[in-house]
Amino acid sequence: MVSLSPTTLLHEAYLDMAARDGPSFPDRERFMGYAARVMRGLIIDHARERHAQKRGGLFEITSLDTEPMENPADHRELVRISETLDELGKVEPDLAQIVDLKFFCGFSFAEIAAMRGVSERTVQRQWEKARIYLHRKIRTDV
Amino acid sequence: MSTLSPDQWRALSPYLDRALAMTDEERGEWLRMLHEQDPALAAQLGSLLYEHRLLVDEDFLEKGPLISREPGLAGQNVGAYRLITLIGQGGMGSVWLAERNDGRFERRVAIKFLNIALAGRAGEERFKREGSILGRLAHEHIAELVDAGVSSSGQPYLVLEYVDGEHIDRYCDKRTLDVEARVRILLDVLDAVAHAHTNLIVHRDIKPSNVLVRKDGQVKLLDFGIAKLLEGDAADGVATVLTVEGGRAMTPEYAAPEQVTGAPVTTATDVYALGVLLYVLLTGEHPAGSGLRSVAELVKAIVDTEPKHPSDVVTTSRAIGEETTTNAARRATTPEKLGRVLRGDLDTIVAKALKKNPQERYASVTALADDLHRYLRHEPIAARPDTLIYRAGKFVRRNRTAVALASLALAAAITGVVGTAVQARRARVQRDFAFRQLALANATNDLNSFLLSDAAPSGKPFTVNDLLDRAERIIKRQHGNDASRVQLMISIGRQYQSQDEDAKSRPLLEEAYRLSRSISDPSTRAQASCALGSILSRGDQLPRAEPLIQEGLHDLPDEPQFAMDRLFCFLRGSDVAGDSDNTSLAIARDQEAQRILKQSPLNSELLELGLLMHLAETYREAGQQTKALPIFEQASILMNSLGRDETQTAGTLFNNWALALDQLGRSLEAEKIYRRAIDVSRADESEQAVSPMLLVNYAAVLDSLNRLNEAADYAERGYGIAQKAGDAVVVNQSLLERARIYDDQHNPTRAAAMIAEVEPRLRKDLPRGHYAFAAVASEHARIEAERGNAESALQYADQAVNIMEAVAKSGKGGAQFLSGVLDRRATAELAAGRRSEAEADAARALSMFQEGAQPGEPSRIVGRAYLILARVLAAEGKVDQARSAAQSAVDQLVPTMGPDHPDTLSARQLAGFDSAHE
Repeated sequence: MVSLSPTTLLHEAYLDMAARDGPSFPDRERFMGYAARVMRGLIIDHARERHAQKRGGLFEITSLDTEPMENPADHRELVRISETLDELGKVEPDLAQIVDLKFFCGFSFAEIAAMRGVSERTVQRQWEKARIYLHRKIRTDV
Repeated sequence: MSTLSPDQWRALSPYLDRALAMTDEERGEWLRMLHEQDPALAAQLGSLLYEHRLLVDEDFLEKGPLISREPGLAGQNVGAYRLITLIGQGGMGSVWLAERNDGRFERRVAIKFLNIALAGRAGEERFKREGSILGRLAHEHIAELVDAGVSSSGQPYLVLEYVDGEHIDRYCDKRTLDVEARVRILLDVLDAVAHAHTNLIVHRDIKPSNVLVRKDGQVKLLDFGIAKLLEGDAADGVATVLTVEGGRAMTPEYAAPEQVTGAPVTTATDVYALGVLLYVLLTGEHPAGSGLRSVAELVKAIVDTEPKHPSDVVTTSRAIGEETTTNAARRATTPEKLGRVLRGDLDTIVAKALKKNPQERYASVTALADDLHRYLRHEPIAARPDTLIYRAGKFVRRNRTAVALASLALAAAITGVVGTAVQARRARVQRDFAFRQLALANATNDLNSFLLSDAAPSGKPFTVNDLLDRAERIIKRQHGNDASRVQLMISIGRQYQSQDEDAKSRPLLEEAYRLSRSISDPSTRAQASCALGSILSRGDQLPRAEPLIQEGLHDLPDEPQFAMDRLFCFLRGSDVAGDSDNTSLAIARDQEAQRILKQSPLNSELLELGLLMHLAETYREAGQQTKALPIFEQASILMNSLGRDETQTAGTLFNNWALALDQLGRSLEAEKIYRRAIDVSRADESEQAVSPMLLVNYAAVLDSLNRLNEAADYAERGYGIAQKAGDAVVVNQSLLERARIYDDQHNPTRAAAMIAEVEPRLRKDLPRGHYAFAAVASEHARIEAERGNAESALQYADQAVNIMEAVAKSGKGGAQFLSGVLDRRATAELAAGRRSEAEADAARALSMFQEGAQPGEPSRIVGRAYLILARVLAAEGKVDQARSAAQSAVDQLVPTMGPDHPDTLSARQLAGFDSAHE
């Protein structure tokens, strides 16, 4: 890990948190927001990398089955989702965070509800709203 | 379809919320209504909802770029390790078996990933915590932390020693280990947990899946994930408080009541979980019983249901009787034999570990381990069935609140002042400085004693205990057996004793004594043996106590610099002699202590006060109240001059003093002083903080003053508090007192209920023929009399007298209560028409009471004895003698009970003052 990849960033952020005693973030909300965004960046980076590798025909195929990118989602699609998500984040940050957590990080509704201290139904409704927003944006743009 | 501007979206957002919360049907209806009000809005909304249908159909965003979390990671590299297979998954995260990928070591490890669902602050912290905790714990029975890091996908992980083993319960079952083998294995677990506690870490999640046993029988404790640090690092001194989130992760089946209710978690929490584990290993059943359906039921059972004894569980034949047989077979035995093995000590040990109240559990994991070791060695265990026999043995006689003499005459101190005290102690070896340093140590001690025992109002004893627990943990963390450490242990042990926390005190003092044997300093040696002697005399090891006192006195040269230590040993020796019913030796030792203080160059009035109180109490316990009274008065004057009228010491002094007065039949005076004791010790208006013993004592004096409703109220409250505190002695005492009061209220049914409750309790705790049973029989007699069963009453009264005669003959404590039961029998005999026997008993009782009374001081007790005699004589037709006796009764009763007391009135009637009423 030479470059300043998100992984390195997260690694460093973690080490930084682990080194200090006590909360590194003023509240959990902000930690979650941060972690989810980093995770998204990480995954998109990963998708780009893999895309490049595929095209470059490198030998990194051994781990194909187990790579996180099992879903054949096009990395460009992911980037587009990510960009639209940033847009949504400006209008309704809560909705954007739920997409980060659900789609990019793979949390369940129950887990997200517990994290945010709201009911599962609320999370689900927000998820549906976010999907409507993203779907309209992405499909219309296409 | 056009895209929406942020403003449009914001306007639509609340409508979307509502729409999405509706069923299809509701939504159709609602949209139609909306359309009538605002067609444009309804159209936009409709289009978005159509969009929703589309995206649902195409599974938009349903499948994230991440694969499902755990499976499939096999073969991946994490740091220097290659993941092999998933071996565990839980609330904390997942655990993988892994091996080095650089081929450098063959050793396999377990890699634990933080569940990213917990990537919130709580999870993050919990994970960090486990790493930092494990880093501090190196123990053969704790899985070792090898490494820690963050994976390329950003997951933090810990690399742990891989334990190829089975859950401890399955291991034991598979090998059909018998009870002893199971206990031995558990002892390894206890060792590991004790080690964690020494490092101020509570595990909080001890359960079979966290305790693995390898094929070679080696036990390993895992998962410090939700462990709690009792204290922050010594360096920063900041206590680490775990968040609520952290607390939720525990496993309900092994959770202690305080974890369920959210009360503070301490080392006692682990003691509880270990108790559950022991229970499961011994019986194959969970203490909350089997067949529990919901977590709620389980939680309820944890918080309020007392578990069955293990021995009962393994023998109880249930619907599925086969299960008991299977469980026993797994322990290489039959249900009957297993029941016999568990009955007794193991039942007791388990019950003590599983107490609902953390303070009633074993004070430490080590204490639990000690008892299990004793069990294996077939030695008597320290835990007692449900109550401490020593306290029950002191029933009635040791009728006092905790005497806060603790650190008087003890020259070591706690925590902050240790430095000076230790320096003082060392310097004392040099004779030149002896006296000056002694004075310094004593001054420190004055301060310390005041801070710890006295300055805290008696309503808040827990603050003292907090301090002590803290001090104990600190001392346990240290190693070695230098004099200063031993001194500190003694000091803490003594403080515990003064808080009546004998179970905590005893192991500390035993340990101090053991360590002191390799120390040459005479004062440390003597203090250790005398302190141990003192605590043992309160338990069932009384015979060990006196030799320890003598050993201590023997160790001390008769030189001035050891004056304080001699004084200490004489005082402790007085306790021991008193407990051994050697009252003359007890008094002599107290007087010797006073002499030493007078001759020493020290002039400590606080010490003098302590000695006076001690001497007075020794007299009182010896039944020599008349000698005790002037000393109580003297002590009270000194206490007042020392400005200590509002302290716990004052509460103790007043209680003991009032008790002496009450025992002499000076009820009105006793009532006033009890009142002062209550006023001093209560923290607020509620009197909740007052010692229940004091409340019950007060109830007794109110009862004799015929203030029956108040008496009942105090006795009932005393009972309630004692019940809550688990103070068996006071519970028994209050039940007897309530029976007396209800009888005086002519409510034999209620009185009988009290006796029915107390009698089995006493039978369980006390030896046969104990004088408490005379009190019970005597109360039965009253109840029968109230019910009009004269013959039956007489039989019980006979029984009471027989018990007391035997007690008096054997020279055991309690003989002073013989006169009381004689009087009761006289009354019963009178009712049964046996007048001459009644006269003989009444006359005998009277002369015994007169013997014990203070000459020239009126006494309610003597007055009542006269009254009973007068009644008997009147029934016999001996009019003149009856009048004369009644006149004497009036003389005694008016000043002690007041002119309007029913007894006074009854005596006046018999004396012929108002014959018109007869």
